[in-house]
Amino acid sequence: MADFEPKIVGFLCNWCSYAGADLAGVSRFQYPTNVRVIRVMCSARVDPSIIMEMFLQGADGVFVGGCHLGDCHYITGNYYTEKRMKLVRKLLERAGMSRQRFRLEWVSASEGVRFAGIMKDFAELIKEIGPSPVAGDNPDMAKMESLFIAKNILEDFRLRALINKQVQFIESGNVYGEKLAEEELDKILYDALSVEFDRAVILWKTKEEPLSVKSISEATNIPPGRVLNEIANLRRRDLIKLDRIEGQSPLYISQGFEV
Amino acid sequence: MEEEEYEPLVIAFCCNWCSYAGADLAGVSRFQYPPNIRVIRTMCSGMVHPNLVMDALTKGADGVIICGCHIGDCHYLEGNVITEKRADAIELMLEDFGLEPERFRLEWISASEGDKFARVMNEMVEAVKALGPSPYKM
Amino acid sequence: MVEKVGAVLVVGGGIAGMQASLDLADSGYKVYLLDKSPNIGGAMAQLDKTFPTNDCAMCIMAPKLVETGRHRNIELLTGASLEAVQGSPGNFLVTIKKTARKVDETRCTGCGMCTHFCPVEVPDEYNMGLVTRKAIYVKYPQAVPAVVSIDLEHCIGCGICEGQCEAEAIVYDQEEQMMDIEVGSIVVAPGFNLFDLARKPQYGYGVYPNVLSSLELERMLSATGPHAGMVLRPSDGELPRNMAFIQCVGSRDKQTGNTYCSSVCCMFSIKEAIIAKEHTPGLEAHIFFMDMRAYGKEFDEYYSRAEEEHGVKFTRGNRISMVEEDPVTHNLFITYVDGAELKVEEFDIVVLSVGTEAPVDTDKLRQVLGIDLNTHSFCETSIFDPLSTTKPGIYVCGAFSSPKDIPDSVAQASGAAALASSHISTERNKLVEIREFPPEKDISGEDSKIGVFICHCGINIGGVVDVPAVVEYAKTLPNVTYAEDNLYTCSQDTQSKIVETIKEHDLNRVIVASCTPRTHAPLFMNTIRDAGLNPYLFEMANIREHCSWVHSKEPEKATQKAKDLVRMAVAKAALLEPIPPIKISIGKSALIIGGGITGMTAALGIADQGFDAYLVEKKDELGGITRRIHFALTGEDVQARMNELIDKVKSNERVHVYTGAKIKDIEGFVGSFITTLEHEGEEKQIRHGVVLVATGGAELKPDEYLYGKDPRVVTQLEYEDMLANGGLKEDTKSVAMIQCVGSRNEERPYCSRICCTETIKNALKTKEMMPDANVYVFHRDMRTYGFREDYYLEAAEKGVVFVRYYPENPPKLTVNDGKLDLIAKDPFLDEEIVVNPDVVMLAVATLPNADNEELSTFLKIPLSKDKFFLEAHVKLRPVDFATEGVFLCGLAHSPKFVEECLAQASAAVSRATTILAQDELELEATKSFVVDEKCDGCAYCVDPCPYDAITLIEYMRDGTVKKTVDVDETACKGCGVCQATCPKDGIFVRGFTLGQINAMIEAALEVA
Repeated sequence: MADFEPKIVGFLCNWCSYAGADLAGVSRFQYPTNVRVIRVMCSARVDPSIIMEMFLQGADGVFVGGCHLGDCHYITGNYYTEKRMKLVRKLLERAGMSRQRFRLEWVSASEGVRFAGIMKDFAELIKEIGPSPVAGDNPDMAKMESLFIAKNILEDFRLRALINKQVQFIESGNVYGEKLAEEELDKILYDALSVEFDRAVILWKTKEEPLSVKSISEATNIPPGRVLNEIANLRRRDLIKLDRIEGQSPLYISQGFEV
Repeated sequence: MEEEEYEPLVIAFCCNWCSYAGADLAGVSRFQYPPNIRVIRTMCSGMVHPNLVMDALTKGADGVIICGCHIGDCHYLEGNVITEKRADAIELMLEDFGLEPERFRLEWISASEGDKFARVMNEMVEAVKALGPSPYKM
Repeated sequence: MVEKVGAVLVVGGGIAGMQASLDLADSGYKVYLLDKSPNIGGAMAQLDKTFPTNDCAMCIMAPKLVETGRHRNIELLTGASLEAVQGSPGNFLVTIKKTARKVDETRCTGCGMCTHFCPVEVPDEYNMGLVTRKAIYVKYPQAVPAVVSIDLEHCIGCGICEGQCEAEAIVYDQEEQMMDIEVGSIVVAPGFNLFDLARKPQYGYGVYPNVLSSLELERMLSATGPHAGMVLRPSDGELPRNMAFIQCVGSRDKQTGNTYCSSVCCMFSIKEAIIAKEHTPGLEAHIFFMDMRAYGKEFDEYYSRAEEEHGVKFTRGNRISMVEEDPVTHNLFITYVDGAELKVEEFDIVVLSVGTEAPVDTDKLRQVLGIDLNTHSFCETSIFDPLSTTKPGIYVCGAFSSPKDIPDSVAQASGAAALASSHISTERNKLVEIREFPPEKDISGEDSKIGVFICHCGINIGGVVDVPAVVEYAKTLPNVTYAEDNLYTCSQDTQSKIVETIKEHDLNRVIVASCTPRTHAPLFMNTIRDAGLNPYLFEMANIREHCSWVHSKEPEKATQKAKDLVRMAVAKAALLEPIPPIKISIGKSALIIGGGITGMTAALGIADQGFDAYLVEKKDELGGITRRIHFALTGEDVQARMNELIDKVKSNERVHVYTGAKIKDIEGFVGSFITTLEHEGEEKQIRHGVVLVATGGAELKPDEYLYGKDPRVVTQLEYEDMLANGGLKEDTKSVAMIQCVGSRNEERPYCSRICCTETIKNALKTKEMMPDANVYVFHRDMRTYGFREDYYLEAAEKGVVFVRYYPENPPKLTVNDGKLDLIAKDPFLDEEIVVNPDVVMLAVATLPNADNEELSTFLKIPLSKDKFFLEAHVKLRPVDFATEGVFLCGLAHSPKFVEECLAQASAAVSRATTILAQDELELEATKSFVVDEKCDGCAYCVDPCPYDAITLIEYMRDGTVKKTVDVDETACKGCGVCQATCPKDGIFVRGFTLGQINAMIEAALEVA
């Protein structure tokens, strides 16, 4: 892999990290050529689903840079970024991607050296772990699928709602004026994520051919009992339906996986 | 061209106590079915005169379905038993009128069978679509 | 003297609480119906089907739910608890705590948009946790009130629901509220709690995935359940090939302390086995039980059908000790005894038939209400006061006084309502709101001027259907003079606006295009009455449940359909005619047929309500069959109580007793019956408004077991007489009691219900009087349901020997050398048992009264196959007949205990009072009417009428005899079977005439 040149996409916020990168340039600090920078006004603009999209498009690593917490030009934007990126890491893991392929850093306008250092580190790290399993001519289809599903559920209302409320909850409390502990909120979020991921996987697997609970379980490693429960939940939303019964096995086909 | 865009129209007579309630539950549960159905509420399925069915079909309805309570569940003791007997007569009449048997259907749908209502309506519309427009259609 | 209050508090909104509330509200009392849950409905709302008719539970319950929710005399207090009660009968001050639902009940329309967007998912209790619900939710789709509530335990306070709510009904700062209400009496109906299966770890519930509780199975069987009616193995989602039911889990069980029988589980399992087999091709169901307690009306036949027609397997005499699991396949193993053999069987699913317990808050109820509980923490009652708690003015019904099924609960509920109102009957109609309407406008000769009000329902309709376009379209339709759209047509301000609009535009017919008429039509019908229109000049187009909600992905087609639905409604509305109300005046008295304990109690009940009671008894003496009962299991002196009752009846000036009287004829209908009596050699006519049938039953005189041939063989009542009057010889060494003599056989397939318990009573009494005598009971199943089980246990502990026999191999009784030889085969020991009893007591069948058939023709009321009377509905109308104004109670209904007869007697009083309390009864106006010019008297419609409401008549017209039919409007229910039978367009149901339906069809097809 000595000749492997990773493709890295870097999202940098206009006010701090992009300026930090500029400073690195002005100061002629050298760093590897692998990074392609996309300027955004705030790191909060980086929708978690965009990161999944980057990987699906063949990125080997994705970097997001924002202002240090408290320094955000838009006051709280980077707090949202922080919460959202937690979700990204979880999902990458769930999709079978190394979470090291994604990195979030706060880089201020004066941290040119640090920016160059981070870029160097990150590029070397990616070189070391090798090309993305979903990039290139022979992508790992299973992981590709998982990433696609991850991207999809990140567009789901439920997760977005939960995550977007987190900052408000921690800082100013909920509608009852109660402040909720971060761990508690994380648990709710991660539970929801895990359930939504399972649901999306079930819908994905059954989008073309009707499958039984057992075969869905075998194809996804989700325990059959859980598959059954989630099918029940999905049926209530008219997202999956009973196609037919074969022997002792009801076969289900998904109704609503929008590709 | 015409054939392809054919959207059938199905009249569904639903008894107030079971099937209409089942249709309501399909709504509450948001079970989707094609918009080709026009429900007419009757107090009992036994209220539906066979002539109403034949009139509807000969005036151009592509299908007619009568929905009542399950046998034994009739709010009026046994109105639906009579409906069942009449359905046999209606089936005979279809033949005389040169209509396919699939254009008429009798179903028992309870107040808790929202999913069944949606399913039956799906099936009915599919069946009638497959037949093509009613020969009586203007 | 306390100042009495004409209001009643009902605690618990299950089927019993609803029935009690409806009866009271219909009788002129203000009702507060309290439920701790956010929506009423109770346990019945969770059921898929009900035994023994397999009726759809929601189908039969939904009309009661809606009626309770809409009744102007019932105030629902949901999410509420009872905190304190002060005062005395007639005037209680009750403090209630209402939890914060965080939703304004008056604004929420139940559209469910908030639940769709709530990001928090929680296990759905209604579906036993087999699916999830949201943190803002409504318990079940048909729930009343149709209002969401926030589950504060799980709500994270994200605020999303508020943003979604177009009705602005979410109120996060709503606080818990304390309120005081004044009531004259209290009815307690808190229901029951399910036994916690974790207390029986040997069955592996919660550990082995394929072990289910019977309620989980019930939800699976339901079309609204997790798998839309499929039963699936939780471990792998496969359809089961076989299924075992283990009975008595948490019932009849010393280990858990629940020694009583839960009364309903046997039938519940049979029902589930039948339905599961219907839903699952090839499924085998196997029920393991100790005794099959199919003791209710037509239960035994259901049990037989399950075995014979549906192939359910039953293995008797088994208390399964444990369930084992193969950890790989998750299949389950049960070891059981079959005859004298030990067997192991493998199952795909095991269902635990879970027992019932006193409600969780039973102790709080005891403290707050000051009532006593029995040893099992249920409400303490007694045989002669089965519906009274130990605290005067507070009554009980339903499963709180003992585990019981739906019809018994409903009968008790009505009964408790009668008792609750009896001591405040002077306050009737004082606190109820009577809605006054302006006089009706005469619209005859006017052209149709239709107003159409189209509802956005927030975004429920408007989000899919282009409502303004539908309004514009409606304006183009013939006869439409006005059309508008409303954000919520059902809101209070829109109602006033509709009234104003009707007046301003001189509308004479109104259409609302919104949601379902099943829940909302009555509201709008009253609104147009406020504008002086007849309520039947109203029509609804259902563009929500039948359109926007089910075609949400096709907005254009949905809009087109909404236009069509409006056009159909307009076509019908143009043909609507005012329907005059049918009012009948009510004679304020009741005829009670039968002067037994049931009839006497009913007569006193009617008198307590302030009406006259005519009590007719064919014998010369009051008392009936109870005259022959001396002892009660619980120790009361039955005859002393009887004499007290007879005295009360005779001294009550509102009760008119006719003993030795024969009914010659009964004519008339609800409100004005005329009965001809033969009494003391004279014919006498009585006018009365209602009839209560309490004809009682009789004891079978058997022709088997040497009865009548050997004086030592006696019936149960004869034996009791011997015990009471020293008829039993002092040297009696051995007594044999044989069960099911004349019951549960081919001739009489029904169970006589009381004989098992009566046998236990007599056995215990025998042991008490003669401790050394041996008592043997030969039985098929001991059916000592409820707390009677405790006495069964006591008898066994006192040495009464119980021997089971099978019907194909009954005990044989012969005389040898003057000695009685009783030989029976014990199926478990596979051995013959021989005893030489000094006395043989036969537990004989209870027979229907021989006069029932004659009475059934007088009153046009049906009999069951077994010749008992057949009620209007076996589950929800246990003491009503389909014929209005006629009620039944006691043994006339089916065999039952004294306490059950008394509960039914009060129930019949309550049902009768709902009629007697009114001066005029307004009947549902949707009835058949005859078009005389068209009717040629062919009489095709006469037979199909399910209510025998149509008769063929002849009269003279223009000098010739004209044949036609006549509709008895008091009997007609408006089903329209007649109109669909008529070949001549000669009979129609108002509001659903062929012309009106045809207009809708033509409008739908756009041919008109």
